Amino acid sequence: MNLRERLESDAFIVTAEMGPPQSAGHGVIRKKAAHFTRVDGVNITDNQTGIVRLSSIAAARICLEEGLEPVIQVTCRDRNRIAIQSDLLGAAAMGIENILCLTGDYPTFGDHPEARPVYDLDSIQLIALVSAMNEGTLLSGQKLKTATRYLIGGAANPFARPLDARILRLKKKISNGARFIQTQPVFDLPAFHQWVERVRQEGLNEKAALLAGVMPVKSVRALTFMRDQVPGMRVHPDCISRMASAKDPEEEGVRMAVETINRLRETPGIRGIHLMPLLWESITPVILEKSNLARRTEP
Amino acid sequence: MNRNRLFTHDRGPRKFWERALSFVMLTGENCFKVPVFGCQRCGECLLSHTAFICCQRCPKRLRNGPCGGTRDNGHCEVFPERFCVWYRIHRRARFLGRNTLLNSTERIHNWKLEKTSAWLNVFTRRIPPPTLFVKRRRHES
Repeated sequence: MNLRERLESDAFIVTAEMGPPQSAGHGVIRKKAAHFTRVDGVNITDNQTGIVRLSSIAAARICLEEGLEPVIQVTCRDRNRIAIQSDLLGAAAMGIENILCLTGDYPTFGDHPEARPVYDLDSIQLIALVSAMNEGTLLSGQKLKTATRYLIGGAANPFARPLDARILRLKKKISNGARFIQTQPVFDLPAFHQWVERVRQEGLNEKAALLAGVMPVKSVRALTFMRDQVPGMRVHPDCISRMASAKDPEEEGVRMAVETINRLRETPGIRGIHLMPLLWESITPVILEKSNLARRTEP
Repeated sequence: MNRNRLFTHDRGPRKFWERALSFVMLTGENCFKVPVFGCQRCGECLLSHTAFICCQRCPKRLRNGPCGGTRDNGHCEVFPERFCVWYRIHRRARFLGRNTLLNSTERIHNWKLEKTSAWLNVFTRRIPPPTLFVKRRRHES
């Protein structure tokens, strides 16, 4: 069963995130791919936080060869509308079927702060553009001989304020064709529940599948970094005190991730989780095993 | 003129008289719109939809709402000392009762209209006219 079919069925969905390496070799991707055999979709980041890495489309192709189902992330930071359309046609020709449309982090956070930010489109317009390409037209109005058939996803940040703006943007993304929504990592369940409540009031969870982000962390430093340095992130003080007092922070991080997953599975309106084991890909099978998600339905 | 849901297909003012008129009108607009609204002269004015704050002051030049990086205090992720433009827009839109105007998906910016007079573009029907009056609806929440 591929991701599209799983979305249409009632199954619980698990996606995960993988960062391509900062090298021209493909060995690392193949090695990392081995950790993700049990998930429904693997997000391949597109130069995350503005740091140059191997292209997401190339890495997705390698993942496809390894038998995974890749979800390419496409950001508007580096490419204008010509490059984005051409890349999307290329990716579709290589058999990639899922796409996550993002606006993209500003280049000043990355390793090339001098770079020219493009932002020709924003994520909502990108979603509309991919929808148009699925219908067989380019932005110029030219017809495509073979239309793309992407499953479109969008991102949501449940923690940034004002909440009205978040819901509004989510609504726009879904009305333009997003079929699944992946959120930022949840470290503050009360704030997340507040957001889910609003989403359910608007009935948006029935039009698109909500996949809540879960990030296993190794140390308390990662959490405080996230709280202080990553804009729009919220970390509950309990999480930090728990990690700070833990004897084995790695084990505590896994336990915390599993607990979050269990709480999220009980939340009505949540269709799945999106694991983000940043630089810690090997932990994915362990977390899935511990939260009884490893043996869901066989493909 | 071919206009669709996503994008305006238009080459902008090209005839000599049109370019000259655009220049004169833009100079006039600049005197008012730049100091009052912080206009960035994109030529596809959204001011009436964005509660009269120019959304093009956003470092990412987003036209459809804030990115995911708005800080807890409502400041911008790129320039922490500044307020997020979209945070201010949403606050003022609620105050002015113009939040329904934020619901529409704005078209992709046409760079051929950059640095042209938005009012001239309205008169030549390149862009839709501004929505000046909104029926005030009682706030639900």
